[in-house]
Amino acid sequence: MKLLEINHLKKSFGELSVLKDISMHVEEGEVVAIIGPSGSGKSTLLRCATLLETMDEGSMYYDGKVVAADESGKTVYVGKKELQERKSMFGLVFQNFNLFPHYTVLKNITDAPIHVQKRDKEEVYQTARELLKKVGLETKEDSYPCQLSGGQQQRVAIARALAMKPRMLFFDEPTSALDPEITAGILKVMRQLAEEKMTMIIVTHEIAFAKNVADRVIFMDGGVIVEEGAPADVIDHPKNERTRNFLQKMEK
Amino acid sequence: MKQSNKVIALLLMLSLMAGLLIGCGKNDQNEDLSDKTTFTMGFDASFPPYGYQDENNEYVGFDIDLAQEVANRNGWTLVKQPIDWDSKDMELNSGTIDCIWNGFTINGREDNYTWSKAYVDNSQVVIVKSESDIYELEDLKGKVVVVQTDSSALAAFTGEDATEENKNLCAEFQDLQQVSDYNNAFMNLEAGSVDAICMDVGVANYQLEQRGSQFRMLDSNVSSEQYGIGFKQGNTALRDQVQVTLDEMLADGTFAEIAEKWGLTDSVCLGEEGTDQAYKKDASEAEKVTFWNRFADTVKQLPAGMLATLLIFVLTIVFSMPLGLLLCMIRMSRSAILRGIAKVYISIMRGTPLMLQLLVVFFGPYYLFKIPVSSTYRFYAVIIGFSLNYAAYFAEIYRSGIESIPVGQHEAASVLGYSKVQTFWKVIFPQMAKRVLPPVTNEVITLVKDTSLAFALAYTEMFTQAKQIAAAQASIMPLFIAGLFYYIFNFLVAFVMDKLEKKMQYYR
Repeated sequence: MKLLEINHLKKSFGELSVLKDISMHVEEGEVVAIIGPSGSGKSTLLRCATLLETMDEGSMYYDGKVVAADESGKTVYVGKKELQERKSMFGLVFQNFNLFPHYTVLKNITDAPIHVQKRDKEEVYQTARELLKKVGLETKEDSYPCQLSGGQQQRVAIARALAMKPRMLFFDEPTSALDPEITAGILKVMRQLAEEKMTMIIVTHEIAFAKNVADRVIFMDGGVIVEEGAPADVIDHPKNERTRNFLQKMEK
Repeated sequence: MKQSNKVIALLLMLSLMAGLLIGCGKNDQNEDLSDKTTFTMGFDASFPPYGYQDENNEYVGFDIDLAQEVANRNGWTLVKQPIDWDSKDMELNSGTIDCIWNGFTINGREDNYTWSKAYVDNSQVVIVKSESDIYELEDLKGKVVVVQTDSSALAAFTGEDATEENKNLCAEFQDLQQVSDYNNAFMNLEAGSVDAICMDVGVANYQLEQRGSQFRMLDSNVSSEQYGIGFKQGNTALRDQVQVTLDEMLADGTFAEIAEKWGLTDSVCLGEEGTDQAYKKDASEAEKVTFWNRFADTVKQLPAGMLATLLIFVLTIVFSMPLGLLLCMIRMSRSAILRGIAKVYISIMRGTPLMLQLLVVFFGPYYLFKIPVSSTYRFYAVIIGFSLNYAAYFAEIYRSGIESIPVGQHEAASVLGYSKVQTFWKVIFPQMAKRVLPPVTNEVITLVKDTSLAFALAYTEMFTQAKQIAAAQASIMPLFIAGLFYYIFNFLVAFVMDKLEKKMQYYR
């Protein structure tokens, strides 16, 4: 079953064409890693998929439900109300966390489930505390983000995304803003999620991690998908010249 | 700044003021006239026909012509120095002007200056709109009357030497208000916020001539009084020299000529009997008012104005802060038209003097739509004017605060499904409030001082009151005391804002 389906996505910023006819899909329970050099369009693809950018052309479906339809070459999004409903199907973890600095850790995690999803307070608090335990921060619920390290903040951000009970979780270079020795903790949490069959779409520079955790790897360059397939194929035996060049550079 | 530093600053300021105040009381000695080359006359440039600015921006008038002649005969260069009427004593005492020569009423001020002989006999008359139902002085009962600050009309009603008759008349008014100049008084009368103006007959005749049949003068006068030239206390040398010259001018007919030129032949009285009472008075005989008497008077009279200042301050904050937020929203809205409107509004509010905006708010309804304004509107106009103006400043401060919040905060809120309204109130506003606190503190402190601009609408707040007391005491001290109060007020404001800032330090 396809949880995410994107067809013929095109996106330009002014004269600059960033995404040129991208089609992709993600199956339920699948972990997809998107790799590629800076400026390849992978972050823009993620931002289009999470509705932070609008597509110029193409269509998009979450779990078979229309998010954006292609009507004679122009993308038309569904109404405001339906869009709001679709948003609860996914979560996003940002490169620089984007926690709310004026809220405690617990409020960061519980505020949206309580006030956006209108879920029961007690249930939400219980879920939030379980999630904090899962990411190893059960003692930090009353701390403010500025009192936490970068790695801890990112783990709170993951808990915040999970508290919304999303069907799929997007990661936008979750470890790029962190020191290498801290990334291990984040990757561990993500690996655990993969084992629990969480559907994940991860934009990353961590080639080893992608190979290790992903079911499928997509290599992008110049706004197109150059190569995709199982990590054993794409990373270990790249067919395309550009993929080979990129992987060589990353090893150095 | 540390708390202890603030206390030191306060003490320093207090001692500085005390020094200044005590130094104020000294009487000056006589001026040496042998090397005098210039003669500086201080005058209120909006007091025709005695002294005013004509259409060529030249200062002209009866008093100016007299002073010019006196200067010529003594070989001095005449300097025509227009002054703010409220500051006349400071100008004179500090030596920036040689005399106050401007239809200057002697009555009630005998002890405060070294006087020339009286040269004009003047009466206080009442001006009303021509269609007014006021014909006799008795008709003023229950009406709003306006006079110029520290004018002889004011003295005639409330001064120490006011007659019982006038005091009783004044007690029957609904209100006796003060404005800083006659143009303002006429605007008030025309707009209907006051019912009558009381002023000098010479000025009244001139104003009626200029303004046409819209206004008329009552037949009976309020009181009679005399004009003289006021010199600094004790400066008899200069006074005598000027007086001798004036007497010469009277003898050779020049004085009468000038009087005729300005249509004052009926009013002049130089050389007549009973015009030299103040002249003969020796300044040193004058009863000495002690520093502490003045201080006590000031402290007794200021609190009423202080309350008014506080009220303007609090109400302006209460209205302008939310209004600024609304304006900020419009300024940042998606509609280019709304954005444009807000931009123009802010640009006008920031680009024109607040005093002018206050006048427009108050007089606008009458001059634009012919809706008569009542006197009670005065206070509302002050609050509306201040709020509209400060909202523009707050809007821009809020905008800078909102724009400084990282776009990631909006994106995180969007992904979590917050609506636009939720995003603003839950995520953006609290962070914005923290960021704009320092510039908002700046604005609030400026507002405390700006409240003094309410005088433009003749609303008596603390500074206006201080100026009135200063004029009555012929002393600068009340202004310093008012300054001290402003400082203490702002000291408290800064203290509160500092506490607030510390309270918000729980996150970065």
